[in-house]
Amino acid sequence: MPIGPFGIDPTIWAVLRLVIAVALTVFLVLNGALVQIFLERKIQAVMQDRVGPYHTGPFGLLQTFADAIKLLGKEDIRAKLTDAPFFLAAPAIVFSPMLASFVVLPFGPDFTGVNLNVGLLYLTTLGSMTVLGIVIAGWASNNKYSLMGGLRSAGQLISYEVPGILGLVTVVLYVGSLSMVDITNAQPGPLVNAFILPFAFLTYFIAALAETNRNPFDLPEAESELVAGFLTEYSGMRWGVFFLAEYGEVTVVSAIMATLWFGGWHGPGVDAVPLLGVIWFTLKTYFFVLLFMWIRATLPRLRIDQLMGFCWKVLIPLALVNILLTAVLILAFPDPRLPIAVANWALVGLLVVGLPFTQRRRLLRFRTRTRESVGTRDARLAR
Amino acid sequence: MFDFLEPLFFALFALGIIGAGAAVVLLRRITAQALLMAFTFACMAGMFLLLGAETIALFQVLIYVGAITILILFGVMFTKQEERAYGLFFQKQAPLATGLAVIVALPVVILAFSFKDPATPSARGSDLIPLATSLFTDYAFPFEVASVLLLAALVGAIVLVKRDEQ
Repeated sequence: MPIGPFGIDPTIWAVLRLVIAVALTVFLVLNGALVQIFLERKIQAVMQDRVGPYHTGPFGLLQTFADAIKLLGKEDIRAKLTDAPFFLAAPAIVFSPMLASFVVLPFGPDFTGVNLNVGLLYLTTLGSMTVLGIVIAGWASNNKYSLMGGLRSAGQLISYEVPGILGLVTVVLYVGSLSMVDITNAQPGPLVNAFILPFAFLTYFIAALAETNRNPFDLPEAESELVAGFLTEYSGMRWGVFFLAEYGEVTVVSAIMATLWFGGWHGPGVDAVPLLGVIWFTLKTYFFVLLFMWIRATLPRLRIDQLMGFCWKVLIPLALVNILLTAVLILAFPDPRLPIAVANWALVGLLVVGLPFTQRRRLLRFRTRTRESVGTRDARLAR
Repeated sequence: MFDFLEPLFFALFALGIIGAGAAVVLLRRITAQALLMAFTFACMAGMFLLLGAETIALFQVLIYVGAITILILFGVMFTKQEERAYGLFFQKQAPLATGLAVIVALPVVILAFSFKDPATPSARGSDLIPLATSLFTDYAFPFEVASVLLLAALVGAIVLVKRDEQ
């Protein structure tokens, strides 16, 4: 009889490994969300000159656990006129793709669920499925605000998928693989992809903010406009599942950014102690999670037309130019690192310098129009 | 030991495709139809997975479940909300539609049963490079034509929805 790892029969080990992996992922996702909610509250509190949660446990650490227990203990309420099967299915449709994404994340050397050859494509595919759940939630709630939230999210998420994928494609072109492990292995040194492909990173970062419904792109659930958007009719743990999914999504996109542009598990001492890679990977991922929170505490929400205009008129054309440049430079030079880096940084400069410039022109146009309309009004009043 | 899994999954996916496809045609609830169509697409992706074509399966889900179904739902949301179950009262084309479906389906079925060699499932994810190579060498021209067509459609859509600026 063949002996697998830990002296267990391989057929049993195959099943056992699956069970362990799923249990570990659920554990990671649930507790990660709790930790992130705690961090989010504390960071926002610090930024807004408050104390934040402090009463339950040391430094308020147990507050989110208490909240989770409260959510679980809440009565399961469903309004009478909601569309029952869809209303109940929507949280699951949002949650399960996020959970499945963790399969291909490269946590460390030999610490990946599956080294899928098309891992990045798998992640984008699962990311695109979340929209379905949000749209269904908005529709099934039978509520104006929910429907508006669902419509907004459909428009926003589909639009921002395009620059996100274009940003990923640039990295795939450069590295030459769709596997998350290969992409990690391609950047062992301090010269990570972020230095060579900063513009691709910028496009993906902005698109990721929009894909996860985070500020300044949280229009589907904008409190001041839509009550709570697609979440309006949800309460208790169904509402909680939506939030778990959101924090899980944030973790997944942060992990993608850490892997694709910042070397994944690579860091000092990983070659000697492979398990250290998991710590590096987690630190890099949580850096982006914290960056998302920082942005949330800093920036105001965009208007829907600004959101769409920025995506279709600025991000997508520049991302397409970026892909074209990268592809041509890879073919033209045997060692294309320097030319690609120059082109990418030039595009970043173009975006950073050009954006205030166009915004100023737009503002001036707006002001003259206002002045004209005020002038005609005054003339009318004088008559 | 796990040999029974593949036929089992094939049966499940086939059942999903045919059952959900029939439900899409027969049901009268438009949201349910849209979701069941997404389910049909997902089952199709499962079939591709069984054939060892992971890339095509993932594109199937990405494009059909993640984008096209959403667009359909987006359209559905602008329909009336009060009476959710409705159908077309004056729809009398059922016999004609059945006849046409049989005419289209017959060659497909004959073609499907004329295959003698079953496709051999390849290793994990290995369809990516053959797919890309054939797309950009053998089928480069149809690929480019299709992309030009899509571009024309995109421009046309923008022209259609653009409001007159006085």
